[in-house]
This record gives sequence, C-alpha cells and structure tokens, in this order.
Amino acid sequence: MRAIGPGSVSSILKTALDVVFFALIAGAGVVLLAALASPFIGAGQLTVSGDAGPINDPLVIGGGLALALAALGGLLIITQMLRRVFATLTVGEPFQRDNIRRLRLIGFTLAGLELLSYAARAFAAAVAPGAIERIDYWPNFTAWFAVLVVFVLAEVFREGARLRQDVDLTI
Amino acid sequence: MTIRVHLDRVLLERRMSLTELSDRVGVTIANLSILKTGKAKAIRFSTLDALCRELGCQPGDLVAWEPGPADRVVEDDSEAA
Repeated sequence: MRAIGPGSVSSILKTALDVVFFALIAGAGVVLLAALASPFIGAGQLTVSGDAGPINDPLVIGGGLALALAALGGLLIITQMLRRVFATLTVGEPFQRDNIRRLRLIGFTLAGLELLSYAARAFAAAVAPGAIERIDYWPNFTAWFAVLVVFVLAEVFREGARLRQDVDLTI
Repeated sequence: MTIRVHLDRVLLERRMSLTELSDRVGVTIANLSILKTGKAKAIRFSTLDALCRELGCQPGDLVAWEPGPADRVVEDDSEAA
C-alpha cells in the first residue's frame, strides 16, 4: 500500500476524517436545533433515558444539550485540525510551523474534552441523582496518555520543521 | 562564530552578474541571493566546487570565518551595526 496518493493509507484516513467531520457537523446541527427549540416545545416533550427511567427535567435536558454541544464542538476542532494537517501532507509539506500549532491545539482540546467529561458526570450526579446507576470519577488514563502523545508529536513536528528549514536553506 | 560570504566582492572583481553566475553553476538566482545575503544555513561541496570553478577562485576567497556572535552568517558588505 502506498504512503501518499489514491488508495494509500493517507487517502483512506483523509476520507475517514472528512466523513467524521461532516457527521459531526450534522450532529451538532441536530443538537443545536433541539437546544433552540426546547423552550418552545415545552417541558415533557424532550426526554433522555436514564438508568432509572426517562428524564424530562428541563435543567437536565438543557444542561445535557449544552454539554453535548461543547463536546461536539471540541471534536469538530480536533477533526478540522487533523484535516488541515492532512492537507499539508498531500502537498508534500507536513513539517511546517502551522502544524505544530494545530497539534498543540488538538492536545489542549483533548484535555478539555476529558475535563468536560468530569464536569458532565458531576452535573449528572448533582441534578439527576440516581439517574445513572454508577458514576465513575476515576481518571481516564488512556485519554490523558493520548494528550501526552499529541504534545510529543507536536515537538517532533517542531524539530521536523527546523530540519526542513535547514534543508531549504542549504545551497 | 561568524561566517562571512564574499560573493558580491568576487562577482565585482570578475565583472560577472548574479544571473550569469546562476546560469553557469546551475543554482537559481534566489538561492544565490540567499547565499549572498548570509541567510543560508549550509552550502554543499558540489555548489562550492561549481562556484570556485566558474569564478576561478578558492573557497577561502568566497567564505571567511570571524569570531563573533554564535552561528551567524553575514554578507560582507551588509554586517549589522
């Protein structure tokens, strides 16, 4: 399998990223519509399923929609940054300063999403006690390890950009 | 460490333009300008060989070392004050 070009790993990943990106946009659109329409629909028309049965508390619905929008926004940022990194890869210029900034933004967004998940669990415990049988507050080490990996990759790209500049300025 | 590039001086002495030198050595004018203005990070031996051949000079006529601020390459007629 080739590295770049049609049928390559990169092109498959790029297609997957595009699909995920537009699916996230569609999902965010649905959640945003629900959030905008909820005050007009009225209490009881929107429900979410909990372990103890359906919940139609407006506070729970509203808070849940807000958290869902924030999470989708974070995922959209990550996906869009990855798409832009891939765009530089397809033109043969991946080691550039913009990609360092994009990878760091991905790292911070991943960390933010993990913190958001803690906030969501605390919110659920506060406004809908018993709705979720078991809320796990234990840190997700895999997620935090992924954050570390992304920041390490950003440093690798920084060194790559420096080496690329050296090559460009070698006469 | 400061590396000075004397390309402008040698071109003047040989009465050769940068364009003509570019055609002779096969290096673009843009890259020769980068070299001339001291922005280059490195020079290949093949490039140095071509320059010396076409200009009829030694490598020491083109580049010189002077003690100074670390890792700075300057063009001989445009040293910062």
